[in-house]
Amino acid sequence: MTTTFQRLSAILVKDYKFQPERLMLDTPLESLGIDSLGTVELLWNIEDAFRIKLPSEPVELPTLGDVVRFIDELAARQSAANVPKLTRHSALQAE
Amino acid sequence: MRRVAVSGIGVVSPLGNTVAEVWSHARAGRSGVRRLEMPFSNRLAAPIAATATFDEGLDIEPGKARMLDRFSLLALFAANQAVQGARGALEGIDRERAGVFVGTGMGGTLTMDGGYQTFYGEQSDRIKPFTILMGMHNAAAAWIGIEHGLRGPNMTYSTACSSSTVAIGEAWMRVACGQLDVAIAGGSEAPLSPGSMKAWEALHTVATMDVENPAASCRPFSKNRSGMVLGEGAAMLVIEPWDRAVARGAHLYGEILGYGQSNDASHITRPSVEGQAAAMNAALRAAGVDRQEVEAINAHGTGTQANDRTETAAIRAVFGARADRIPISATKAMHGHLLGAAGALECVLSLLALQHEVALPTVHLQMPDPDCDLDYVANTAREGLAAQVMLSNSFAFGGTNAVLVLRRAAREGRTATRQQSSLPARHAGATAGCGAAP
Repeated sequence: MTTTFQRLSAILVKDYKFQPERLMLDTPLESLGIDSLGTVELLWNIEDAFRIKLPSEPVELPTLGDVVRFIDELAARQSAANVPKLTRHSALQAE
Repeated sequence: MRRVAVSGIGVVSPLGNTVAEVWSHARAGRSGVRRLEMPFSNRLAAPIAATATFDEGLDIEPGKARMLDRFSLLALFAANQAVQGARGALEGIDRERAGVFVGTGMGGTLTMDGGYQTFYGEQSDRIKPFTILMGMHNAAAAWIGIEHGLRGPNMTYSTACSSSTVAIGEAWMRVACGQLDVAIAGGSEAPLSPGSMKAWEALHTVATMDVENPAASCRPFSKNRSGMVLGEGAAMLVIEPWDRAVARGAHLYGEILGYGQSNDASHITRPSVEGQAAAMNAALRAAGVDRQEVEAINAHGTGTQANDRTETAAIRAVFGARADRIPISATKAMHGHLLGAAGALECVLSLLALQHEVALPTVHLQMPDPDCDLDYVANTAREGLAAQVMLSNSFAFGGTNAVLVLRRAAREGRTATRQQSSLPARHAGATAGCGAAP
């Protein structure tokens, strides 16, 4: 099964043209040239790709590992919140 | 006043992405104008442009590249190439005496067009967070300053089609009068967004497409000319004091002798013979060059009815009967109109023409026009033209005219020097800023 990190890496390789070997859990976003504004843009891509709803307040995500944890926590929370409303569809599809 | 050398050139343009490539295509009269295939191009009356083939990722960190509009990417690419070619021009310098001077007419118009499309077209609120930083006109100059650690004046000039001639001229002035020790100067333009192209079309200045041969759509000084063709690209120069460049053993592309400016102060688009002639005369005065010494001209030559007729009359007004014997090249027929980068690319082509002793051709000159009766080097380059001094003309909407006076580096080149005494101290007007020099 594809992990969150693999899916995030795929976005960074395809849309950002990074070499896959540069992408590790402990890679700082700054070292990829992604600063705070760049993180906002990256989160939009993540919102679409992972079908999660981002909070409106800014978040600090220093490394790719922090981004992965952020996605997983949001997905889990929103999935749990959506479960009661769902009958036959998964939370991801519904969102 | 110090003599000022051009010791580095960088280009990314419809004629190629190296000095050698651009020169070889220009000399051969090859057109970079082509039919344009892009979203919304079916809505354009003439879907043609002079495009630069450019790998945006080239030499630039991918994360950073996302923060640069295409006009900044083109500018940075050209600046890096110029610095690399100038071999050591930035080494050991006082960084606060090193400046950046960039001309652009439309800045990050592609980014702004994309933002409007998102907001109005897609009804989305997700405007890219970098939109303002990518769209602002001074972004290209700022990125060049960041990349090379240049902490002196970082200037952007937006005087429409004369922007980069102004940028080079202003940089020349600062280096000549001793305020700066080195400058990166030139222009960049990436105007080929659907919205901007449509706006140019609405102005009725763009050429109709030559259906048989779209590459031949821009025809300066030809009676059947129908307008300009938009182009994209960047050209950057490294300029520095002549003696410093010679001492370093740098390759010298030529010398900037001076620059002059004028404003038509008459009409927002209609060119003026008096205004254009005044800019040429101001440039000659600033350079301390007699008009008899001018042996070639790179014309503004847009291919519009109004410009080419007016420029012909202005050249006659300045040079009198001698105008008939001055070879005039209108290279926009090949590389299109790069708007704010046009003057810089034409300055590069002029320096190369002097260096190679060639007058570049005005291609697609198919039909003589009685109102354009000078020697335009029609269709084929003229070899063996040992010109020493050349003008590069740029005239603009808004009436801002700017002209550079360029001199060929002597063949023995690197060590040849002109006697300083031969440069008259007649720099009134163009050197007004020198009072502020440290």
